[in-house]
Amino acid sequence: MASAPQPERALRLLARCLIWYPPPPPTVGFLSMEEEETYLELYLNQCAAQDGLAPPRSPLFSPVVPYDMYILNASNPETAFNSNPEVKETCGGFSSVDLSFLPDELTQEDKNQPVIGSKHETEENSESQSRLPSPSDIGLGSNSPSLSNPHSQQHPSDTDSVQASPEKPDSNSLPLASITPMTPVTSVSECCGIVPQLQNIVSTVNLACKLDLKKIALHAKNAEYNPKRFAAVIMRIREPRTTALIFSSGKMVCTGARSEEQSRLAARKYARVVQKLGFPARFLDFKIQNMVGSCDVKFPIRLEGLVLTHQQFSSYEPELFPGLIYRMVKPRIVLLIFVSGKVVLTGAKERSEICEAFENIYPILKGFKKA
Amino acid sequence: MNNTAASPMASATSSSGRSTGKSVSFATELQSMMYSLGDARRPLHETAVLVEDVVHTQLINLLQQAAEVSQLRGARVITPEDLLFLMRKDKKKLRRLLKYMFIRDYKSKIVKGIDEDDLLEDKLSGSNNANKRQKIAQDFLNSIDQTGELLAMFEDDEIDEVKQERMERAERQTRIMDSAQYAEFCESRQLSFSKKASKFRDWLDCSSMEIKPNVVAMEILAYLAYETVAQLVDLALLVRQDMVTKAGDPFSHAISATFIQYHNSAESTAACGVEAHGNAIQPCHIREAIRRYSHKIGPLSPFTILALLPRLECGDMILAHCDICLPDSNSSPAKPLK
Repeated sequence: MASAPQPERALRLLARCLIWYPPPPPTVGFLSMEEEETYLELYLNQCAAQDGLAPPRSPLFSPVVPYDMYILNASNPETAFNSNPEVKETCGGFSSVDLSFLPDELTQEDKNQPVIGSKHETEENSESQSRLPSPSDIGLGSNSPSLSNPHSQQHPSDTDSVQASPEKPDSNSLPLASITPMTPVTSVSECCGIVPQLQNIVSTVNLACKLDLKKIALHAKNAEYNPKRFAAVIMRIREPRTTALIFSSGKMVCTGARSEEQSRLAARKYARVVQKLGFPARFLDFKIQNMVGSCDVKFPIRLEGLVLTHQQFSSYEPELFPGLIYRMVKPRIVLLIFVSGKVVLTGAKERSEICEAFENIYPILKGFKKA
Repeated sequence: MNNTAASPMASATSSSGRSTGKSVSFATELQSMMYSLGDARRPLHETAVLVEDVVHTQLINLLQQAAEVSQLRGARVITPEDLLFLMRKDKKKLRRLLKYMFIRDYKSKIVKGIDEDDLLEDKLSGSNNANKRQKIAQDFLNSIDQTGELLAMFEDDEIDEVKQERMERAERQTRIMDSAQYAEFCESRQLSFSKKASKFRDWLDCSSMEIKPNVVAMEILAYLAYETVAQLVDLALLVRQDMVTKAGDPFSHAISATFIQYHNSAESTAACGVEAHGNAIQPCHIREAIRRYSHKIGPLSPFTILALLPRLECGDMILAHCDICLPDSNSSPAKPLK
């Protein structure tokens, strides 16, 4: 069900790696994209070199690809349950760290490119610290001395929510952990290495200033505004491929990203666009509201059996919808389970919830495998 | 009064329908539906035709009554409120309908959240579509509820036994299937009247009506049609089960005359070599089910006995029973035989 846009996206990625785009002429919103991309790519290549997992593809690839590779290698983030409370803390801590480190008014970027570049890089580092696998921490350690935050202890646990390193509760073992190669963890798990892929992330951020939607719509590229139909500007950017709804109150919704990092990056890009138009845009309270993931268990499932044994959680009305809707209580995730074996998970605020939910459902689904 | 007004019209439409052979026929879809509800792999065509007739009559009846109610209100379209009003007497059916409406809302909400484009579309459309059916139902029942019984249904979490039985039957059926058969079964389960909305409208001849149902009302009608088919299959299976004399059955010496008649017909069909469809529901099962359980079949069950009369034409004995079916007989499920 959710795999339809994938071939399209894959094609797009492939196309990008074949053609080298010359830097586009300075237009609002685009100049900074290229900038960021090059910095991000540099940084990521550095990380990849460090852990020896150099992406076989050209550096032009969208930054998300290395993440996907790491995710595919990680078989099993089930051990990341413990990290949940810490993750939350870290996230909260992060937003304050981010803002204190990088001024909300991103105006300095225009004046001082190299400085901003490194600052930006470190900012990305700090963000990706929460998401990237632990080996990258080595690089981070040296690059971001200013990130002397008390939350650095919790980073490893945060990274584990993505990675499946078993050493997460013990943050002191970070250096050791980061050196070990990223082998798939614990094949004793039932999941056989299936990890749900994120398909869509919806996030919100507060730009904290009143906006003139008409002005934005007139001056920005790829913006549509139809006040009679809907009271927000709909803006789209190509990289990461996302859509944003920008409201006159300054609140913004960003959808379509494939990872938390991408969502944040895209939101920052939109914020920069708005800023370049002259509004004092800030970047407050970035929050991921919903994450959608999907995966395939690769065997047909007998849904009638499942709905009977898990009545209080599932509802299956095939004449209404071909999938079974399973409302998992812990974590609070809704799963759509189809006869073909495809599973869609939604309602998560964090990646760990999706993984945990899939861990929980997989043995149940195996029990109803249709031979 | 409603019944006498409804029945001649119902019989008129049904007889004309049957004589000309309706252009729109759901017989093939019904065969698949009956398979998904517990019938044999290849349900009989005659059974499907009979079921189609019964369901059609029921729905026409319902539509007419709903149109009358709408007229009373002075409305231009038949809304879900009219249908809910007509069903207010039967708590169980009403509850099932409400649950269906809620599930429909919930499913729309979830599926919208998944696809990014749908999400935007939803936001752009501006109107607050979430839980719209639930709101309609709640507001309406709030307005007509005098004793608080109807509103209590919203919090009611009792297990629906009929639904439970259906689920168990489906589970039993699917347990023994292999994956190819199961794939076919799943496809049949996904069939519904709402998927063929335009054909459904033609079938009910909505265009010739003065007051037409709106979109949500059509959804409910499609659901009620499906429910009626499901009920018929449930009851026919029960009848079929009864017909098989079990060893050691204490009442085997007390079989009724009707039982003998049906048993003979069942045997004769078997003798004719229709054993390939040995497991399929026969039209006689359906008829017997209607005769026995007519107060349960259909959305407005207490009122539809007369509407079903033309169906029961399989013998003088049956017609004799029908004479006793007076309009007010809905209170007594046990009708005197002969």
